[in-house]
Amino acid sequence: MNRRDFIQAASVSALASTPLARAAAPAVKPIRLGIIGAGSRGQEDLRHFLRVPGVSLSAICDIYPPRAQQVNRIAGRTIPCTASYAEMLARTDIDAVLIASPVSCHAEHVIAAARSGRAIYGEKALGFTVEDNHKIVDEITRSKVLFQIGHEYRYAAWVQEAMRRVLAGEIGRPTHVYAYWHRNGNWRRSVPTPDPGKKLEHLINWRLYRETSGGLGTELGSHHIDMANWVFGEQPASVLGTQSICTYNDGRTVGDNVQLVFNYSEGRRLVFSSITDNAKTGCELWIYGTQGSVQITIEDATFFYEKSKASNHPSSDHADSKTVVERGVVTGASYSTAGEMPYRGPGAKVQTDNAEDPTLCSVRSFVEAVRGEHPIDADVHVGFRAAIACSIAHDAVFAESRMPIPTLAT
Amino acid sequence: MQSRDEHPTSKHRKQPLRALAACLLPCCLALLALHLFAQQPDAPLQLFTTTHPAMGTTFTLYLYSTDPTEAAAISDEVFEQIDQSDQQLSNYRSSSELSRINRLAATQTLTTDPDTFDFLEQSLHWSRVSDGAFDITVGKLMKSWGFYLHQGRIPASSELATLRAATGWQKVQLDPQARTVHFTAPGVELDPGGIGKGFAVDAAVRILRADHVSAALLSAGSSTLYALGSPPHRDGWRISIPGPLPRPDELSSITLKDTSLSSADCTQKNFRIAGHLYCHIMDPRTLKPVEGRIQVTIVDPSATASDALSNVLFVNETARGLEILKAHAPEARALIVSGDPAHAHCTAFRWTDTIDQSHCTVN
Repeated sequence: MNRRDFIQAASVSALASTPLARAAAPAVKPIRLGIIGAGSRGQEDLRHFLRVPGVSLSAICDIYPPRAQQVNRIAGRTIPCTASYAEMLARTDIDAVLIASPVSCHAEHVIAAARSGRAIYGEKALGFTVEDNHKIVDEITRSKVLFQIGHEYRYAAWVQEAMRRVLAGEIGRPTHVYAYWHRNGNWRRSVPTPDPGKKLEHLINWRLYRETSGGLGTELGSHHIDMANWVFGEQPASVLGTQSICTYNDGRTVGDNVQLVFNYSEGRRLVFSSITDNAKTGCELWIYGTQGSVQITIEDATFFYEKSKASNHPSSDHADSKTVVERGVVTGASYSTAGEMPYRGPGAKVQTDNAEDPTLCSVRSFVEAVRGEHPIDADVHVGFRAAIACSIAHDAVFAESRMPIPTLAT
Repeated sequence: MQSRDEHPTSKHRKQPLRALAACLLPCCLALLALHLFAQQPDAPLQLFTTTHPAMGTTFTLYLYSTDPTEAAAISDEVFEQIDQSDQQLSNYRSSSELSRINRLAATQTLTTDPDTFDFLEQSLHWSRVSDGAFDITVGKLMKSWGFYLHQGRIPASSELATLRAATGWQKVQLDPQARTVHFTAPGVELDPGGIGKGFAVDAAVRILRADHVSAALLSAGSSTLYALGSPPHRDGWRISIPGPLPRPDELSSITLKDTSLSSADCTQKNFRIAGHLYCHIMDPRTLKPVEGRIQVTIVDPSATASDALSNVLFVNETARGLEILKAHAPEARALIVSGDPAHAHCTAFRWTDTIDQSHCTVN
């Protein structure tokens, strides 16, 4: 008896004997997945999907053959693999489709999956071009299939709690969101050699080329745009952008750093920065309001508060008013370090019971929606409002001019 | 408001990848086949070294490649995998899968992913065959002795009695069919410390093999490492095993190819009270730090196995530890140093390389 056989025999017999095990026997509706695009992000999504009871993987679609072996490892068994999404969608053992292909293929894959009638978990950004985004919304609306966009931060417990407090007015009126995703790495994936014509280079490193990638503003910034949309209750109206290649002069045609300013109504703004040669700041987002700030990271959220402005309002019953004329004003030093550089203090961390990974929370919610337990939260419209801003920002960083962002026609 | 037609780039931007994808499938297959046979004979192999902090230590990758760009890309891939393992197994990250299991598995039967389930299976396997000398459930025990946050202390005997109820691999139940884990007692906490780095190294080595790397050495803070292939014109990677402190000069050296090595000693994680040294390696059966062992070095094709077995050999009496190797690790070799540094003795098991006997008496 080998190790796996022993564990299987021993633990099954032990578990089957307990009342708890019998009570815990899966009563959930099985959800069988197909995956289109099984690269690094697709594999990470899949890993989390397989932590949800009742979820299994039926088929893989990827045009790069090594992905099948990588996915088989994650799935723990050999999964049928095809390079044709039409062939995969023709299978009868798929309930839902995970789409994690390059962004420039999203529209083609999402529309095909929607026409097959399957529920869809689509990675961000929703679509690559303005036209793509509109087409996806049109098809999802027409086909009435469930669609959830992979803006997983919407499902993290600490993000939900922080946003609840922000929208309840805890930091006053939010006016600015400053968001950073700073890394230290060339964003490049390994390419087998030889690679004549650099075909594999363009297939594997699609993120580095303007024709197939929205660059850092889309691939990393779409999460932050979605969060700002949530804070301000709308999508941005226009964007200013710029980028350059500062460190990685390796033939890429998107910037290795990008800076974007998204303009919302009433002068409110999202400022997004991404650099790839220094990771000090990491991934974080600050919401600045008139009475405080909140810092949101991939692991937690922390509130900070402005000093009270109440003392700036003239008051006739101030305590000093009664004595200052009789007793006079005492002279002294005026310098106060706190006034010059106010120390923000350690902040008040958002306390939640749930520390689960945002992607696990997101995919579990999707599975529950497919089972009919509740509606989708991050739906196709949420995806549209972030992706349409990405599409325009992608052009804005090359044009370096202010560009308007279209809304969804109603 | 700008209309859709005001974006000329939007109409044709997506065509390149789609067209590329259409013609790429046969190209991919052909190129991959070609790659298996075609090397670049003219470009000399160079050794590239990259370091990366993860799992509470520093990983180092020594990689032979003909191309700096390729070396950088492979290094990134390897360390991305290491980070993924860290995110999966860390008991210091509240969002890790292992932390989720620790939080929930006592109150529910928890579904996990196949890779994490494989980790749990391997952990329980070594726990079972070692009669608990290695035990994945020492999380509470490590915290109680203060090793979790480097604040060493001796727990009261009443505290140890409470720990007894929350320690023991038998309290972890796995169901391979449902891929679930359940703790049969409250308070059980898994600690990946004795096996997680090996599991991460094995996962990273799979990346190196998939990338057809001919020679690389991956070291997880030097306590677990894997030697893939061999450097040019060498039989393998030379590994030096230092002698017990205070004499760190070489005790033995070994040449490794396509195998792993793990070591265990108390020099990096310990505390001293009233002159007595308390080691971070616990005997889960006594709930106390191991006494009388100085260091262990073990070679095995699986880094997961060598990592776990280094604990098994460190905790068990030497004879019992070697029985376990004979029964369950047919390719393992080991060098065990016991006693006290002034009067150390070394036990060599299938260890054919020279041992400097000025460090120890060899039996």
